Amino acid sequence: MPQVGQGILKGMGVTLRHLFGQKITRQYPEYKRPLPERSRGMLTVDMDRCIACLQCMRVCPDHCISITQEKRDIDGSGKAKPYAVGFVIDDSRCMYCSLCVEVCPVNCIYHTEEFEAQAYNRLELARQFGERPVDPTVDPRPAVKKKKPAKGQDGGEAPKKAPKKKEEAA
Amino acid sequence: MLGEEHRTEEHSALTEPATDRLVRPDVRDEFGLETIDMSMGPQHPAMHGLLRLILELDGETVVRCDPIMGYLHRCQEKIAENRMYPAVIPMTDRLDYFANMHNEHGYCLAVEDLLDVEIPPRADYIRVLMCELMRLASHIPSIGFLLLELGAFTPILYAFRERERIQSIFEAVTGARMMFHYIRIGGVKADLPPDIPEKIWDYVESLEKNFKPDFVDLIKGNEIFISRTRGVGKMTQEKAVEMGLTGPPLRCTGVDFDVRLDYPYSVYPELKFDVVTDTAGDVEASYRVRIGECLQSISIIKQCLEKMPEGEVMAEMGRRIRPPEGEGFGRIEAPRGEFAVHVVSDGSDTPYRVHYRDASFVNMQLLQEVVPGHYLPDIMPIMGLVDPVSGGWDK
Amino acid sequence: MGTVLQYLDQEPWRFLISFGAVVFLVLNLAAVLTMAERKVSGYIQLRYGPNRVGPRGLLQPAADVFKLFTKENVSPGRSDLWVFVAAPIAMFLPAAAVWLVIPFAPDAVIANINVGILFFIAVTSIGALGVVMAGYGSRSTFSLLGALRGAAQMISYEVPLILSLLGVVMLSGSLSFVDVVNAQGDTFWTWYVWPLLPMFLTFYVSGIAEVKRVPFDLPEGESEIVGGFMIEYSGMTWALIQAAEFASMGLMSAVTTTLFLGGWQPPLPFLDLGAFNWVWFGFKTSLIMFTFQWIRWSIPRLRMDQLMDLGWKVLVPLTLIYLVVVAAAMLILQEVF
Repeated sequence: MPQVGQGILKGMGVTLRHLFGQKITRQYPEYKRPLPERSRGMLTVDMDRCIACLQCMRVCPDHCISITQEKRDIDGSGKAKPYAVGFVIDDSRCMYCSLCVEVCPVNCIYHTEEFEAQAYNRLELARQFGERPVDPTVDPRPAVKKKKPAKGQDGGEAPKKAPKKKEEAA
Repeated sequence: MLGEEHRTEEHSALTEPATDRLVRPDVRDEFGLETIDMSMGPQHPAMHGLLRLILELDGETVVRCDPIMGYLHRCQEKIAENRMYPAVIPMTDRLDYFANMHNEHGYCLAVEDLLDVEIPPRADYIRVLMCELMRLASHIPSIGFLLLELGAFTPILYAFRERERIQSIFEAVTGARMMFHYIRIGGVKADLPPDIPEKIWDYVESLEKNFKPDFVDLIKGNEIFISRTRGVGKMTQEKAVEMGLTGPPLRCTGVDFDVRLDYPYSVYPELKFDVVTDTAGDVEASYRVRIGECLQSISIIKQCLEKMPEGEVMAEMGRRIRPPEGEGFGRIEAPRGEFAVHVVSDGSDTPYRVHYRDASFVNMQLLQEVVPGHYLPDIMPIMGLVDPVSGGWDK
Repeated sequence: MGTVLQYLDQEPWRFLISFGAVVFLVLNLAAVLTMAERKVSGYIQLRYGPNRVGPRGLLQPAADVFKLFTKENVSPGRSDLWVFVAAPIAMFLPAAAVWLVIPFAPDAVIANINVGILFFIAVTSIGALGVVMAGYGSRSTFSLLGALRGAAQMISYEVPLILSLLGVVMLSGSLSFVDVVNAQGDTFWTWYVWPLLPMFLTFYVSGIAEVKRVPFDLPEGESEIVGGFMIEYSGMTWALIQAAEFASMGLMSAVTTTLFLGGWQPPLPFLDLGAFNWVWFGFKTSLIMFTFQWIRWSIPRLRMDQLMDLGWKVLVPLTLIYLVVVAAAMLILQEVF
């Protein structure tokens, strides 16, 4: 057993010192701490640069990006190029894993420093970036049933899945 | 070491569990006594998550304790079969959500074992640095939770102050405070920002200053803490090994098994540190083991910062990760015990099977074996000994 | 106007009005104490307590009371409703009633009875009954455990409580609070805490146990039996139980001050404030309440068997032996002088 003054009384001395010491609470929202430059907040898209390659849609693990693609002649060159006429990011699903940011070839989707995603209705959390609104409740990459192997075979071939493009291990 | 000089008596590791407090069944029937069946249900403020304990109580003594898990099951292993190898990493973050770096590290070691790829040394050092910081950020709140369940509401707030500071460092390095997605297959995502090593030095030195008053003086000599935790949850070495425990519950009985030294991985062979053990096998011993491991982590962090080489942080791996058919196995020392990942590949983009061996799941057997015979309020310190995290046992 | 006041000064109006006033004031005291508790706990835990409602958060109790008034009083389906609802009242009224006999200033006591200490002991025992009623009336396993623990704890800690009061009774020679305060002289070295230091410590520890605060809050047991005897209460019934707990804490502090620290006596004679000596009373009571809160946020709680061990095996022998010591000392000093 420790001696008198080493046990409970010493602990109470520690708490008394903290009572009169400095507090570490920061009063949000009057004080907003400066976020580091790599912090991953809510996503945003620069639609002028987007080439509608659908990479971010394919790689997102939560299926929160949904793009409606159209072929349109944007820059007046005469050739119809893919154009994202509808682009929705569903904040209620996004898990801020930044896979879409890493995969984008033109760096048009990126994280901002915002983190206050609040709304009164869950559907309001889906932010539309394109001209035509996309329905966020429709799954852009629904799961495809694996083909059952033929009788007599075991294992089966590699199952057909929704097309996924290559992932750049950056 | 903090454990050695303050231990007052030698504890024998070979003692019987506390079943002598139980009333014998024939005596119980003779007097017509009944037991109470109670469920410390999934909704409970102190269950470390969603755990249901079915208790059979004889007055205040626990006769039987059955943990029922599964209230947080998220089918992680099944979902991983449909994701590409790099996209599984954000999911491993969410397994043991108090020690995210370790989960990512374990999975990446398994896949790198499958691919047989060589990691650049700087990436290895950064991984170990992050993992040891995470170990600090996990052990200090573990001590806080132990005391919260004993009834002292203050140490947990001091613990979370430390964890917040470590999380700020992580935010500057990885971009997120909790779900990092930083350790990648083949290295780490990006190099440390230039001002981070100095920030980590400053933080570690301030932690060394704050550690003794806030986490040792306040708790260690406290007579009430000692009487609540000494002799509670006592295990023998044989029983601990038989149950398959790893981590602090095992090392507090005296078995010095640490994956970092027995099955070395990453740069741990080049770092000097000790394995902290204690012979008592009870809750107080686990507290001492965790304190000792915090101090060891601090020394490892300092060694990493001094020895870190220059270089790149990602191996040359190509754009597609499509390993050949085979199996890969990676095992690491997470703060709660041994975390191992077994990945089976069938040659395609997605794994055929991913299996996580999480320490919280295996260490939970302690509750069923050790609790009977103790009083009802002793369940909480014993859970503090195991310190499970519900993302770990439920996946 | 004068005749109305004269009429109201007779019994039973005087008693009813003063009792109503005391209950009202004790409820307010409980509300203020919740605020003090949260601020002290916040400061110990490196944060500010509530500081949004009102200037520096001082209107927080008003917001709490308003919220609790609007909450539904849920009761379990198979509970015994009369016992369930009567229990908070049975816990609160004894804590409020003893304030009638405590002197705040010279000649400022609502009921000057000459057996005040006996009244205090008898009435606070009813609080234990309230705990058992709450646990039994809820008819749930957790509350049953909490009630049994509470009954055992409160009954067994009344023994050291009473034994430590006997020292004060011996020294002052009277059971009345007013006489006890007057018998302690008006200098701080003649207060009863110095000759009766073990009695003071025993009374203090037993007081914490009677109020069921940490380290003796196992009947409430927040970590294992989440709320214990009050787990099924919500809304105003729960608020009344909390008010009872804080009022008892205030009461124990007030009784400790009156019996051991000189009541309204100033520490040095030149600091005497006459009729405003209740300021000294309030200051000393607040100090004791602060130490109650400081202890609560610093140390863990005791297990049931350790709690009972402390009460029966440590405190009771200590007080019994010290009673004999005090009696012997009084006899010797009387013989000598």
